[in-house]
Amino acid sequence: MSLWNRIRRFRGWHEATIALLLVSLLAVAGRLMPSFLRVDSQLLLSRHIWEVAILALGMTPIIITGGIDLSAGSTMGLCAVMFGLCLTASGSLTIGCLACVATGFACGALNGVLISRFRVHPLIVTLATFAGYRGIAEGISQGDSYSKFGDSFSGLARGSWIGIPRPGFLFAMLAIAGTVLLGRTPTGRFIYAIGHNQQAARYSGIAVERLKFWLYTASGLLASLATLVYVSRFDTAKADAGKGFELDVITAVVVGGTSIFGGRGSLLGTILGLLLIHETRLFVSRYWRTDELRSIVVGILLIGSVLVYRVCVRDRRA
Amino acid sequence: MFGKSLSFCLLSTLLIVGCQRGETERDLAATGKKSGSDKKITICLLPKIKGISYFSSCFNGARQAAEELGNVELIYDGPTDGDPKKQAEMIEQWTVDGVDAICVAPNAPDVVANAMKEARAAGVKVLTWDADGTQESRSFFVNQATAQSIGEGLVQAMVNDLGSEVVGDVVIISSDATAANQNAWIDVMKPALQKTNLTLATIKYPGENASHALADAQDVIEKYPNLKGMFGISAVTFPGAAEAVEQDGKTGQVLVTGLSTPNDMKKFVHSGTVKSVFLWNTLDLGYLTVHVAEALVSGELKEGATSFTAGRLGEKKIVADNILLGDILIFTKDNIDQYDF
Repeated sequence: MSLWNRIRRFRGWHEATIALLLVSLLAVAGRLMPSFLRVDSQLLLSRHIWEVAILALGMTPIIITGGIDLSAGSTMGLCAVMFGLCLTASGSLTIGCLACVATGFACGALNGVLISRFRVHPLIVTLATFAGYRGIAEGISQGDSYSKFGDSFSGLARGSWIGIPRPGFLFAMLAIAGTVLLGRTPTGRFIYAIGHNQQAARYSGIAVERLKFWLYTASGLLASLATLVYVSRFDTAKADAGKGFELDVITAVVVGGTSIFGGRGSLLGTILGLLLIHETRLFVSRYWRTDELRSIVVGILLIGSVLVYRVCVRDRRA
Repeated sequence: MFGKSLSFCLLSTLLIVGCQRGETERDLAATGKKSGSDKKITICLLPKIKGISYFSSCFNGARQAAEELGNVELIYDGPTDGDPKKQAEMIEQWTVDGVDAICVAPNAPDVVANAMKEARAAGVKVLTWDADGTQESRSFFVNQATAQSIGEGLVQAMVNDLGSEVVGDVVIISSDATAANQNAWIDVMKPALQKTNLTLATIKYPGENASHALADAQDVIEKYPNLKGMFGISAVTFPGAAEAVEQDGKTGQVLVTGLSTPNDMKKFVHSGTVKSVFLWNTLDLGYLTVHVAEALVSGELKEGATSFTAGRLGEKKIVADNILLGDILIFTKDNIDQYDF
């Protein structure tokens, strides 16, 4: 095999491209706006992305199996309301957090059951629960919000240990666990196999349905953890928590090189995609100081990354 | 084929980056010189929603003040959907950028409180305008009108416009359930309504969203047959409620009163759905806010002051930490065409 072929077959092309884009973005940003690269401000503003990052860890394997979870943001809304409700009713933070996690588990498990037991397409199931969970959250809370959870709870998302924001530790733990699971265990291989060809995976004895159930449940659980970070950051639990996050998450996963048809992708790519989107948004809104530009730039990134993927695939098949 | 073009792209990107790296030093020196020579004060004006006529007219007033003062760089930005979380993120970003003053019109005081407190801790002057935040999150509140004058004025106008002998239901179409202004007005309106022949049937919270306000208003028109009047107490929900009355053909049976900008309400006032529109001079509100922010940064205005002179507006009273704008305006069929904002 020639060197050229080896380069072409190198599996990390997408990740490498994104990493390069990220580096050049930072270089340009640093030139136009020297204060942009300051580590302390970058760490402080990383706050805006932790919740989406945690959700992305659950979304990536789901999209690798060829599925999707549109209900992630709405699950956060329901979790936030249950947190606020149980906290005010019991007066105990622990009970509030437990209620939040239990709600996330239940929401994810319901998605999982509908998808794996009844074999309904994930897009339809989660589109339904996307509306349903948010609706229940709004119904229970009647538009009210719960707030003033105290400074120590606010510190969970706003504070830092050894200079690194606290949610970063949670994210790092989860990300390492996810990377090991996807890349180093049989379960991880099965997830890719389902994405490549679900029937073939089923006939080769992989417990496709059980695996899918747990993936959607995990996504719900991660949404509840993201909710805790979110509620702590804004010191407010309201039914609109995480509104629109599902689209941010899916964008990050797709920009990160995961194929929306399944079978291909990695957590590293997702994290890089997320960083690229986050830094681009930050730069655009800090440099030009208009909020509207942010969405345009993210749209361009998404199309660009899908084009890269298309060109890659066409080349490999030719 | 693709491999070649990709590697070409990568190489050229690297080259460009390389070139730019080389220029960095010179650039830094140039910007360093620039920031040393003129000391501009950067003031950020954060509205509840960007793009509605109410806040746009405040911004026009703010721009006048910035031009008059000369040493002010004014940044006007806010969420286009009124999401208080985006307000908090913008405050955090501005704090990191090292601006001098941030003027916030909070949509939900609790959501932005932590970001505002952090900004103050970082040395940024933080004040609220249009709507107040939590006490410890800001130094001053530029208060356009006291809750007392607005709340009682609205109820009085409704009674006068309907005729004091009319008996029936009224509803309030508010904004977000967390909006501080609206809640303060409602607290005044409730006891004031009890002294009249009108009964407050319900309060709706459609948020800062005209189509939700329209839907909520249509709901109450259907639900309360004895409905005589509606209060639309935000610049967005008031036109929404008036629109609902016109769509249902209830003009003359259900009267709408509230707060909004004259331009948004002219057609409803001329059609008779609305008889009185309340507002303060929004241009002056933006103007005063920028003056206060500038004075805070330059040290002219200190906490505990009892009065403040703001350019063409003259002397304004400070009660506790509220800087009062002054009288409210009432627009009717006779005078609404004289105003354009």
